[in-house]
Amino acid sequence: MDPRDFPLVIVVGSGGVGKTTLAAALGLKSASAGRDTLVMTFDPSLRLKDALGVGAVAAEQETEVPFGGAGRLCASLLDARTTFDRLIDRYAPDEAARERILRNRFYDNLSGNLAGVLEYMASERLFEVARDGAHERIVLDTPPTRQALDFLGAPDRIVSFLDSGALRIALKPWFDAGGQLRATSRLGALGRNVEGFFDRMVGLELLRDMAEFFQAFSPLYDGFRERAIEVQRLLRAPDTLFVLVSAPGRQRVADTLFFARRLSEAGYRLGPVVVNRVHPTFPGAGGPAPTLDVAGHDGRELLRWLGERDRESVTALRSLLGGSHPLVEVPLLPDEPTDLESLAALGGMLGERLDDALGACRA
Amino acid sequence: MGVLEALERRQMLVVTGKGGVGKSTVAAVLGRRLAARGRKVLLLEVDPRESLHHLLDVPPSGGEVVTIAPRLQLQHLDPRRLLDDLVREKLKVGVLVRRVLSSPVHQHFTEGAPGLKETAVFGRALRLIEGHVPRGMVRPDVVILDAPATGHSVAWLAAPRLISDVIRSGPIGHMASVIADFMADRARFGVVVVTTAEEMPVQESLELIDLLDDRVQRTPDLVVVNSLYPPLPEAPDADDGDPAGALWAHRRALNDRELGRLADHWHGSTAELPLLPLEPGPQLIATLGAHLEQASGSS
Repeated sequence: MDPRDFPLVIVVGSGGVGKTTLAAALGLKSASAGRDTLVMTFDPSLRLKDALGVGAVAAEQETEVPFGGAGRLCASLLDARTTFDRLIDRYAPDEAARERILRNRFYDNLSGNLAGVLEYMASERLFEVARDGAHERIVLDTPPTRQALDFLGAPDRIVSFLDSGALRIALKPWFDAGGQLRATSRLGALGRNVEGFFDRMVGLELLRDMAEFFQAFSPLYDGFRERAIEVQRLLRAPDTLFVLVSAPGRQRVADTLFFARRLSEAGYRLGPVVVNRVHPTFPGAGGPAPTLDVAGHDGRELLRWLGERDRESVTALRSLLGGSHPLVEVPLLPDEPTDLESLAALGGMLGERLDDALGACRA
Repeated sequence: MGVLEALERRQMLVVTGKGGVGKSTVAAVLGRRLAARGRKVLLLEVDPRESLHHLLDVPPSGGEVVTIAPRLQLQHLDPRRLLDDLVREKLKVGVLVRRVLSSPVHQHFTEGAPGLKETAVFGRALRLIEGHVPRGMVRPDVVILDAPATGHSVAWLAAPRLISDVIRSGPIGHMASVIADFMADRARFGVVVVTTAEEMPVQESLELIDLLDDRVQRTPDLVVVNSLYPPLPEAPDADDGDPAGALWAHRRALNDRELGRLADHWHGSTAELPLLPLEPGPQLIATLGAHLEQASGSS
């Protein structure tokens, strides 16, 4: 992969398919080829932190991976709370505003728990890194989501949320300067009923915390909006390459096609589809299926059956994808890659296969 | 005591774990087995992409109650719709309901407030257990929730306590506090963690067990280790040149290493399930069920 072609590679897919491992492997491959590369990943297991030789410090800042390749490899482990706190540090207009947000009870609960925060923070961090331009290539491992595309929708959602101004408008007039609920409401009698309902349902205390939070946050709105638009542009840039990772098995075929179609329809450049951890086929397979009794106890028979099953599902997926996206297989390895050496070997294989697939696309 | 005897006394079981380890499969197996043992079981699914119906060979729920067997039902819940229902129930007046449901405050609050949707799901499950069941549904003795694999499953289990801490008054705060107390009751509420015997899933499961202890002061009732390769024979046919045999030996050795690591850190009940030459579906669920019946649950 020529980095001039793809300065940003985004690895997407459902949870559990091996995105994080493949992103790390691709990063190693890219750095071995002499490119200054950054791998951004989310909540990776401690073993992967060990494998990359980076500690918890990588959650705070980019950390160089001790790696004897031709190029530099950096890793950054994303954590929603850390990124959120840092953002507020950077953009709060003054110390008092910063303190007000960080001490807000609503923020305290929201920043670590709110669904979608991790996805949104990933796009914020991506913006920062891309703008700094310190790396020739960024390999981004997207957060584990059941929908795989949640991450990509995050900037759109934040823009629509900010444009609607819903919470600011809805919450501000409820309270006067003393923090008391206003006796009269701009919304009239019906509005008062609605407010009364929220009051009864969740209590004034929470609403006051929320109002205070969004007020404290308001100086940050414009910056959020601009960055979200910039991230949208970056994700849809023609030289941003999406790699969709999937797993073998008949029941995965429909899911993979669905994601591939959604990505293309949304205007992202989807390159190869990687089917990860495919059981190899063995000689002697393809005969009558072994009985449960035999294959349940003899791992060789089981592996022959799995090899056939995976071969069939990969063939079906390849034909359904047609010529639009090349399919790249990564075999199930005897051992899971957990150190730099095995990750580099995996990266070498994956890189070669991606190159072939992309080359075939161009030819 | 078998693992199922311990689990069948609970009123609610949450099945959780990393994506791709077979969480839904284990939920379906538990549903089948507990129903076979005479319990009336409701399987609840919240992932927008339904999968349990496929494993049990019934039509997708789409929000309706699906009867799978006399004592086994399935329903898919949309948490957002549960919250809208709550508004309808509390407000009653049509014009006010429409006003609230179309209000940006409601829309953003229900999307954004941490833990609200999760709490609504547990709240619905608790009401069903207590006998507030819709027409066409049998009152369940036990509800099995196939929790979403978000990578943050502990957020699901911590949600009711979080909500009851944040919302200290009103019916939602009250509901959340009742649910949180229910979930703290080990006799009534249980957690089943599903994993495979591979590095990353075991690592995440151990982290999840720590987080559960830290955030909700709970330990899992059971850890299910799924998709194990068959044990190697005592006297292997010493390198007979069969590459399938070599891969088997490697993968099973990896399974054994990770089972050992799990046992070093987790001293509670563990059940092992085999990797089988079966596509996802009723036969797989039945076969795994037979294995789980035999699991002793000793650690």
